[in-house]
Amino acid sequence: MAGKLALVLLLMALIAAPEILSPYHRSLALAILADVALAVSWAFFSGPSRYLSLATGAFFGAGAYLTAIVGARVPWPLPVLGGALMGCAMALVVGALALRLRGPYFAVFTFGLAELAKHTLIWYETGVTGTVGRLLLAPPGPWTLYYTVLCLAGLAVVTALLLRRSRWGYALVGIGADEERAETLGIDTTRVKVGTFALSAAFMGAVGAAMAPRWTYLDPQVFNPFVSFQTVIMALLGGATTVAGPIVGAVFLGLASEILLLKFRYFYMLGLGLTLIVVVLALPSGLAGLASRLRPSPSPLPRPQP
Amino acid sequence: MGLSPTLVVDIVVGGLITGGIYALVALGLNLQYGLMRVLNVAHGEFLMMGAYLTYSLHTAWGVNPLLTLLITGPASFGAGLVLHRLLYARVLAGGEAAEALESRSLLLSFGLLFVLQNAALLLWSADLKGYSYLAVPLRFLGSVFPANRLVAAAVALAVSLAFYVFLQRSFLGKAIRALMQDPEGAQLAGIDLSRVHGLCFGIGIAMSAVTGSLISMLFELTPFIGLPYTVTALVVVILGGLGNVVGSLLGGLILGLVETASVYLAASDIRLIASYAVLSLILILKPSGLFGR
Amino acid sequence: MSMKRREFLKTTAGAAAALGTLRGRAWGQAKPVRIGYTLSATGPYSVGAGITQGPNYTLWQAQANAKGGLLVKGQGRRPIEFISIDDRSEHETAVRFYEKLATDDRVDLMLPPWGTAMNFAVAPVANKYGYPLLGPTAVSNKIKDLQLPYFYALLQQPDQIMGAFAGILKELKAQGKISKIAIAYVNDLFGIELNASAATALKEAGLEAVDVKSYPLGVKDLSPVLKGFKAAGVDAFVGLTYPPDNILATSQAKEVDWNPPVWLAAVGTAFPFYRDRFKGAEGVMGIAGWNPKVKSAGAKEYFDAHVKKHQKEPDRWASAFAYASLQILERCVAEVGLDRPKIKAMVDSTEFQTVAGPIRFVKGSNVSTPGMVGQWQKGEFEIVWPKGLATGTPVVPKPAWA
Repeated sequence: MAGKLALVLLLMALIAAPEILSPYHRSLALAILADVALAVSWAFFSGPSRYLSLATGAFFGAGAYLTAIVGARVPWPLPVLGGALMGCAMALVVGALALRLRGPYFAVFTFGLAELAKHTLIWYETGVTGTVGRLLLAPPGPWTLYYTVLCLAGLAVVTALLLRRSRWGYALVGIGADEERAETLGIDTTRVKVGTFALSAAFMGAVGAAMAPRWTYLDPQVFNPFVSFQTVIMALLGGATTVAGPIVGAVFLGLASEILLLKFRYFYMLGLGLTLIVVVLALPSGLAGLASRLRPSPSPLPRPQP
Repeated sequence: MGLSPTLVVDIVVGGLITGGIYALVALGLNLQYGLMRVLNVAHGEFLMMGAYLTYSLHTAWGVNPLLTLLITGPASFGAGLVLHRLLYARVLAGGEAAEALESRSLLLSFGLLFVLQNAALLLWSADLKGYSYLAVPLRFLGSVFPANRLVAAAVALAVSLAFYVFLQRSFLGKAIRALMQDPEGAQLAGIDLSRVHGLCFGIGIAMSAVTGSLISMLFELTPFIGLPYTVTALVVVILGGLGNVVGSLLGGLILGLVETASVYLAASDIRLIASYAVLSLILILKPSGLFGR
Repeated sequence: MSMKRREFLKTTAGAAAALGTLRGRAWGQAKPVRIGYTLSATGPYSVGAGITQGPNYTLWQAQANAKGGLLVKGQGRRPIEFISIDDRSEHETAVRFYEKLATDDRVDLMLPPWGTAMNFAVAPVANKYGYPLLGPTAVSNKIKDLQLPYFYALLQQPDQIMGAFAGILKELKAQGKISKIAIAYVNDLFGIELNASAATALKEAGLEAVDVKSYPLGVKDLSPVLKGFKAAGVDAFVGLTYPPDNILATSQAKEVDWNPPVWLAAVGTAFPFYRDRFKGAEGVMGIAGWNPKVKSAGAKEYFDAHVKKHQKEPDRWASAFAYASLQILERCVAEVGLDRPKIKAMVDSTEFQTVAGPIRFVKGSNVSTPGMVGQWQKGEFEIVWPKGLATGTPVVPKPAWA
């Protein structure tokens, strides 16, 4: 009961936030919400299935560049939808090819995707359009962006929750535990994997499309490998097998790096690095693990025995 | 433009130069990743540190850059042993599922990456740093090559081959190979897992730092040069097969050749497209790498 | 030992200065003028930020505060306080921090971050809150598309730069000193725009490049390109470069035994670091904007003060423009105070005399500074084109690589 009340209050606070907060704090909230959406959607695929994906930057970049290309020619939520479709389509192709790969092979393949997309785009832009990069001259207002990203983060969390309780979700956990056994139990592993991968990519593409107007100028460097890494850090730091984990991880990392950046200009990376190391050594199951340890009634993970 | 003999020489020698350097960084990463499942994203940061160390020794005291390998190698080996003891051994001793260990050691490596970059920034600032050494043309098989690159690649290949011989001949080397092939069986045979892990981590990092010392002769340094090398090393490791030493060596050389050929035959900006396209193709055809088991 | 002592002295001096301002405030004296900016201290932009912008910001602040502060119309001198943050070379972070500067810190004035893309990202924020932003490191034909009245670009733009390149190449060809031009450019916005401008400018000058090659950011080997040019008998190399690839190309040219009579490159050549790296870099040409010999008032004084404060020389292209942007702000604040619309009106309508020569803006673009070509000659980056502003005459063919 108290939990539900707290949830409703949190939701109201998030909706009212732009009204109360200064533009700077609203922007910080926006950035953190975008990270939450990325981390949650990364974790609902990679957490249970244990396929470490480094393709986040590729899907995010595709969405962002799409917004930059269509610019102000289409009304607002359409670029976000386009970004989602774009991410989804890319993931379907890549998934069909790459989900045969396991562990590190999959990780490196997906990492290569962002680089491949970036350099192909540069090559295409230089050769065909003769210029590279786009200016976004009439971006939607900050309120619109905030609520768009809030919706995306909310949707990602709801998707993760629903997925967890569905047969599809259990199938993913089964794949993560032992893929061959899952297959012999009659799970269509390819469909489950590619489907979930594409769903998570849709969120990533949408977030990219929604955040693009913040930069005014976009070039193929938006296919930034650091987006992929950061997403992984956030999700793992919080605990990738829970829904709360990636949220906690994204909020923690976002606030921690902002505070470190403001207070310790020349030492912030040092602070961030040491924070990561301490958390890993002190909390074996991530930040969310700490929360569930403190709480009397933990929600147990459906952790299958291999 | 046809394939003239000079062009072939340019491509092959150029490819081996690039590839020799790739092979050495990749070999180091493969030792960490293949053996311990530690995806050390800070691998390139040790390369960056080695490069800066050589830069400082050379510019401040006039030490020959090649001689600095005798300092950067052992120093980074020691640093690797300490880091393994302080950080990774604790995580790896947890006895959790392999995936949980992998993600925790990955986070540790990210932590290290930030710490090392910041340390370099404080010690050497973000200004470009570089020096000239053996920056002279060397005529070779009818074409001309930078002497420093030839020397760097030759040393990198020599170190790689020496390591290969060490793996084949020495007792420790045999233990490492046994562990790479069959961790559980080797452990039953009485190999001290944690000790071998520590040594391998140290050797891996030393290889990265030594590569850094070599490339400091060729490129300008900033605290942010490390990550691209980590990525290249990862690509090579995957190309050649995880845990496969010969695979990494050949993978590095192949990647070097592909890149150089694409630059000569098409254009420079095709280089990266070509290398990722080749990687993707190989993985699609052979999901555990060219020489994977 | 001496390092430690210097550190100690610096800290003590800092503490004393802090004490000084504290006492100043306790006496109810001048409240500081608060000026906010972000500069990349980490990430890829930190190299350029640390050469061109950061040192000039702190030099100007120290100079003004030594005089008792910034002269504000009707309020006397007020000390300058910087509120500066590392933007991590990330656009999103920079945008957020400029919003913070405008709405949380409510700074009096803003200075721009380093680099074209960063300026693009934060210019709308500055414009929205009415802060004039005078950017010394934004170079792009797209700037005029921005149409942000509060954004100003001080540096020469691609058409002007390439116009100067074509000008000197045309003359050298007429003198029979060169015949074949080849271009290598980095394939991001900067290189692509310069290359497009080069094509137009060369055509207008009746010239043509025999070969044009692009290469990616972070390139590790340019010898194939250089060998190709050498084999084609190119005698004028034009590199539309960033600093790391510029240095790579220069060292590799020597390593593949190629010494074309004209070696002309973009960003990086004007850095004193480049000269020192290549033992004087005698005869190498590049984009120029300034050197301590130019006739502008205060040029030499600026050079000496920069060396004294930072123990390094300012670069010979954008540094002086970074300092000039601060001179412009200083003069406006002295004449109209901290009322930002009035500052904007004055920037729009005045021709300013700066260390980098006269500067006047039309629709946010500096129309007073032409494109220039410089050449390292005996330790100084002499301006060799256009002739009206030249401090030296071009030496072609360049001597052998040192």
